Amino acid sequence: MSISFGSFGRDELLDGTAAYSAAFDAWLSARPDVVQTVQSPMPDYTKRVDAMCALMSVLHDEGWSRVGWPTHAGGLGGSVLHRGAMWEVLSRHGVPGMALFEHLEILAPTLVAHGPADFVAHALPEFLSGRELWAQGFSEPEAGSDLASLRTTATPDGVGYRINGTKIWTSWARYATWCLVLARTGAPDSRHRGLTAFIVDLRSPGVEVHAIEQANGTDELAQVFFDDVHVDEGRIVGEVGGGWAIAMHILGHERGTFAWFRHSFLYHQLVDRLGAGGAGGEHNDAALGNALLDLAAVTATSHAGLLTDAADRAIGPMSAFTKLLLCAAEQSVHDWILSGDPDLAVGLQTDDVALRRQEYLFSRIVTVYGGSQQMQLETIAKQILRLP
Amino acid sequence: MTTLTPIADEFYAIARQAITAAGADSALHSMGWWDLLGGLDDHEQRTAVFAFLRAQGSTLASSVAIGGLLAHPFLAGTDFAAGDVISTIRRTSRRAEIHVVIGDPTGRKLLIDQPGHGAAIVNADDVELKPITISGRLVISQLHSHAGAPEHVIHEIEAGPARIRSTFLGHIGLAIEMLGAAERTLELAVEYAAVRQQFGKPIGTFQAIRHVLSWGRTDCVAVDAVIHQAIRLDHSAPANLGAITKAIAGRNARRVCERSLQALGGIGFTAEHDHHHLHSRVLALDSLLGSSAELTHVLGGELRRSEVSPGLAAAVINHH
Repeated sequence: MSISFGSFGRDELLDGTAAYSAAFDAWLSARPDVVQTVQSPMPDYTKRVDAMCALMSVLHDEGWSRVGWPTHAGGLGGSVLHRGAMWEVLSRHGVPGMALFEHLEILAPTLVAHGPADFVAHALPEFLSGRELWAQGFSEPEAGSDLASLRTTATPDGVGYRINGTKIWTSWARYATWCLVLARTGAPDSRHRGLTAFIVDLRSPGVEVHAIEQANGTDELAQVFFDDVHVDEGRIVGEVGGGWAIAMHILGHERGTFAWFRHSFLYHQLVDRLGAGGAGGEHNDAALGNALLDLAAVTATSHAGLLTDAADRAIGPMSAFTKLLLCAAEQSVHDWILSGDPDLAVGLQTDDVALRRQEYLFSRIVTVYGGSQQMQLETIAKQILRLP
Repeated sequence: MTTLTPIADEFYAIARQAITAAGADSALHSMGWWDLLGGLDDHEQRTAVFAFLRAQGSTLASSVAIGGLLAHPFLAGTDFAAGDVISTIRRTSRRAEIHVVIGDPTGRKLLIDQPGHGAAIVNADDVELKPITISGRLVISQLHSHAGAPEHVIHEIEAGPARIRSTFLGHIGLAIEMLGAAERTLELAVEYAAVRQQFGKPIGTFQAIRHVLSWGRTDCVAVDAVIHQAIRLDHSAPANLGAITKAIAGRNARRVCERSLQALGGIGFTAEHDHHHLHSRVLALDSLLGSSAELTHVLGGELRRSEVSPGLAAAVINHH
């Protein structure tokens, strides 16, 4: 594979994100074909995924998406700041979102930090290039906010483990090759102490993935059934019985740094609507200004999260704030979009309107996934305010 | 207090201590605050300058600091030193353009900015200042008239750029003082929730109360993060970041006061409790240099017309 960064040397790009951003921006400007497909509105989720996989394949082969990941995991070095810059530049070039590559910033950092090294060295490049995608199996029908009560079990079978149980709200399971499954290796009442994180091949015998048709018309969520599914011992992330720490590492990213990536696309949606005349005019300026304030809060808090992560420090309970602020911003942006465009409620069913309607409805559930708003408020009450 | 910006937290603690020991105007001298104004281009000195205002808000102290900060950019090219001149501040009013002075400017000059017509520096003794009595323990007076010719005139060609810088600094300064007041009232509410018992246990054990207070902290963290990003970016900040900072501070600080009052209950609505002072301080500061409501509307309008992404580029924030 030949990697060319134009007139920039690799060391220069790794030194700071300014050179990387400028080089990537220039490259995208010269290659508008790369992002052309993902720019068009695609209410069909599968088409969106296909288009994103095609884009990611090019970005991987050209080296851009390998910057920000360590060399031992198939990357070219650099930090999360490079990844933050890459997606931010993509959003400026009209890429509307991450369409299941969200897990690159939710799951992958934990895989790289705690996963089996040989496996990760193969899996990360496959993920970056869109060939082998990932899902995250945490929630269960009886274990949502109370994650420590999960019942999926992993029982030793001599050469590894047998997984039995059901996961639900598993994002992108239908498209994924791999699923990071949190399962109970301890006693039934061991709560968070008896959990282990496994990398499960979703092509294994005994795995069934049922898509869930959602209120917004898409079906990227799924219920996943595991019936005596074998997993090799080498597919454990972290320690046996150390699954809770792995889950917290993932959730720290999902709530802390990930906000940076998602909010880059919220800015894009604002500007996209302004350009399309969907601003709702002068009477809507306060709502637009309000969305801008909420986004500024996410920019500042999530960037602090990126800096913390880049310095290899844990984000900890501060991520609860970022998560709450991201949800507030996402809802403010879509409140403004809806108020300026009544077609979203009832009207023309063009691809463009259908997609924005999907996104509006999705913005109503953001306060539920990844740890509900109430759980974040409890984290703050307990760990920051130290209320009784 | 937060862990997002440890240096700012250190300066804040020092300033609180200095203000509590000797009052705000003395603390300005003992901390060398006026000298720090000369080093505003340095990130740490800038952080220390603003930390003083946060401490002032949280201790309900009053000084001429904000007016000194606002005046500072106008003084380049004059013979005046930092602290010699205090700027008056535009206040939102439905009737007329009103200027107020915060703190006691006795013995100093006053700068009266007249956008489009330069700025005038007048002797404080030549102006009529009428004290305004509001809660908030804010020493504030309204400028009524001034007699005689100004002592010094700054022409519009110099005043224009100075005004932009002054407004940015003023927006951040007012924002961080509001944050200080909001953080303090939230702190009082959190302390109260841990001891006030109802139904046989502290009210801070009830989720309804816990969540109100957690939202309050979230609002504070958001303002703190935006302020310190603006302080860090300084000259690299986009033109609207000062207004964004002031707008979110006004909006959130008011919300924090309301949420704190809800947890404090009746005692928070009494004259003897500090809550109303902190709340009034926030309301008063929000009304200066554009209220949150005004700025939010203006920011929305500017964005609507510009159609340019208002997001900060990663490459810019990573490098400052």
